[in-house]
Amino acid sequence: MKTLLALPLAAVLSAGFATTALADWPTDRPIELIVAYSPGGGTDIMLRTLAPYLEADLGTQIPVLNRPGASGEIAYTALSQARPDGYTLSSLNVPGFLTMRIGRKLRFDPADICPVARIVEDPGMFVVQADSPYNSLADVVAYAKDHPGAVSVGTTGVGTDEHLAMLQLEQSAGIKLTAVPFGGANEARTALLGGHVTLIGLNAGEFASTEPGQIKALGQFGEQRSTLAPDLPTAKEQGFDVLMASERGMATRCDVPEEIRARLAASVEKALTNPEFQEKAKQQGLALSYQSGADWSAAMPARLERFQEIFKLIKDRQ
Amino acid sequence: MNFIDLLMLGFGEAMTLQNLSFCLLGALLGTLIGVLPGIGPTATIAVLLPITFFLPPLAGIIMLAGIYYGAQYGGSTTAILVNLPGEASAVVTTLDGYQMAQQGRAGAALAVAALGSFFAGTVATFAIAIAGPMLSQFALSFGPAEYVALMVFGLLAATILASGPVLKAIGMILVGLLLGMVGTDQATGAERLTFGAVELFDGIDFIVIAIGLFGFSEIIANLERSGSEGVTVAPITRLWPTRDDFRRSWRAVLRGTGLGTLLGLLPGGGATLASFSAYSLEKRVSRHPEQFGKGVVEGVAAPEAANNAAAQSSFIPLLTLGIPSNNMMAMMLSAFMIHGITPGPSVLTNQPEIFWGLVASMWIGNLLLVVINLPMIGLWVKLLNVPYRLLYPAILLFCCIGVYSMNNRIFDVMLAAGFGLLGYAFRKAKCEPGPLLLGFVLGPLLEANLRRTLLIEQGDPSIFVERPISLVMLIATVALLAMMIFPAFRKKREEAFQEEEA
Repeated sequence: MKTLLALPLAAVLSAGFATTALADWPTDRPIELIVAYSPGGGTDIMLRTLAPYLEADLGTQIPVLNRPGASGEIAYTALSQARPDGYTLSSLNVPGFLTMRIGRKLRFDPADICPVARIVEDPGMFVVQADSPYNSLADVVAYAKDHPGAVSVGTTGVGTDEHLAMLQLEQSAGIKLTAVPFGGANEARTALLGGHVTLIGLNAGEFASTEPGQIKALGQFGEQRSTLAPDLPTAKEQGFDVLMASERGMATRCDVPEEIRARLAASVEKALTNPEFQEKAKQQGLALSYQSGADWSAAMPARLERFQEIFKLIKDRQ
Repeated sequence: MNFIDLLMLGFGEAMTLQNLSFCLLGALLGTLIGVLPGIGPTATIAVLLPITFFLPPLAGIIMLAGIYYGAQYGGSTTAILVNLPGEASAVVTTLDGYQMAQQGRAGAALAVAALGSFFAGTVATFAIAIAGPMLSQFALSFGPAEYVALMVFGLLAATILASGPVLKAIGMILVGLLLGMVGTDQATGAERLTFGAVELFDGIDFIVIAIGLFGFSEIIANLERSGSEGVTVAPITRLWPTRDDFRRSWRAVLRGTGLGTLLGLLPGGGATLASFSAYSLEKRVSRHPEQFGKGVVEGVAAPEAANNAAAQSSFIPLLTLGIPSNNMMAMMLSAFMIHGITPGPSVLTNQPEIFWGLVASMWIGNLLLVVINLPMIGLWVKLLNVPYRLLYPAILLFCCIGVYSMNNRIFDVMLAAGFGLLGYAFRKAKCEPGPLLLGFVLGPLLEANLRRTLLIEQGDPSIFVERPISLVMLIATVALLAMMIFPAFRKKREEAFQEEEA
């Protein structure tokens, strides 16, 4: 009985807090930044590097809290349950955020989560050993046409970037490849160096941070060539319809007041133009590519549709 | 620059006041978390990783490395004195170390563990310095097929390692395999045994199981005693081992060091696998295997040397190829990346002070650890002399913090508590949890690699006998199996364990 009475009271109180919070935002208390991956991962390091610049610009503290697991679902669920007062942010990773809703029952509603700003767009690549006979996607395609299934592709699991890129190449070139799942990009890279798989998928950032001379890239899967690999042709240029890029940014709940969301986006944009931050990003192999939350949101439905089509391919095969 | 110049450069870097202080700090922290059960190097380094951001690159990396190998020293202290492995890699040390302590030879066990570790650490340091670039090639030739053969061998060896009936050991391995299956299947994306819990999507964390089975269940088991005794810390009398101890342990230390250095190199290997393997190897080559588990000094010397050697040699693939071989090395990789350094051959040529400074600091750190651990052993043991009513809640707290801090969620703590109850039930049923852990770690690796092999070979299993390393492993496995079935050997094994139980 007591709780029943207390509930409306709590609602009134929190509504009151929300309005005062808005007035003082963001200086009266820290803004929590939830990261959907473990400490030390690419997304974690990126956001930990960025946080001090946002702190300086907003005049507040931004502690990073890692909530890894279930390819981000745990973090997004936590975000969707936070109060919509602008004091909780989370990392946002595409395609994971879009693909997790396909064929899986989620504990949060993706429509509740809106991007604030995109920070990085990191295209996928197919990579072979440095002394491999293949020098382009066409070389691999030609071999695979004669030897269906003989080309093995190291991925990091079903429905991951590399796997989706592989399916697109199969579809586009009319070939059959063999996906071999590994525990992570590092494991896949070891297998490639040891000659256990023909090629692996890597992001441009991961490729840039690998020792030169060990591996070479056959093609990149962005719409345009990435700043990290200006000399490498895209799949489109090579005549294959393969589009796959890993995008990383930040999100809040959609019902966070618009002025707060705009202020956060402006702060991110400002940090990305800071030469000091750009230097650090370069060291980490981050392909900086700012996009406002609105632009990023607008691009998502088309991407989701493309992913749904690819997932249908996976399903048809099983 | 030749080898000596490079080594001198490394020592020059490592001996600066700043780097020396961080080396000492890492070694102290490592010993502390090694002594305290529950909180391990993985959790500690995860917590400290963000802090290294504010340190110079080499100092931060030296400190984190110190925590890792320091924990291998500290872990043995509690294993020997309280029968409580401070680290998963010290689990086997409890078998003989605690028995030795019960016989009043705790000092000898501790000294052999520390000296053996120091020796292994020295050897492994030189192995990194000399053979690093060469040995990484060996790790690379380990493909999925070789892994499958190695895992099969490892799982079979685990049943021999276990005391008690083989059937119980197999049962425990199967439970471990089952637990290892929890989570999202890598090859199909299907959920397995998650019961719809989002927290189980990525499987159960090793730390959750280890802390539950070893940390929590130890505390529960201790509740059976009256509250006044405190932890039964075995008294330390004579610190220096006898001449007989030295005579018996030097070969074990050599074997442990060799095996540990090799196993540390393999991706997925590391200190825990090394200590388990070294113990079973020692038992197999011993002329008196029946004494194992009853306080033989070789049973302490071999695994302690092996885990320290492996802890350090696992840096080789990371430093030469930039490939982390286990989750600890993945943490170290992030520590490098935070500072914009990508480990690999270019570090050796462009920033030799980083590579050689770290190598030199490891040797200095090992020296510091012998000092920290031997003359000051009394101090660390005092930590355990704190009364039961204070110590166990504190350990429980550390266990909970350690488990919670991995993913910042209370679910893991509850899960660990559940494993604590399970571990207590295992104790009552006289089932050893060691094989369970091994099954849990090796099972998923075996499954993933078997599928990879068959995918790459498009279903043709002949690769297992075509690849030489895999073939040798499989022959060894068959030989082991034959020995298990061979009546004479089986009888001998049963006799050995019967005596142990008597």
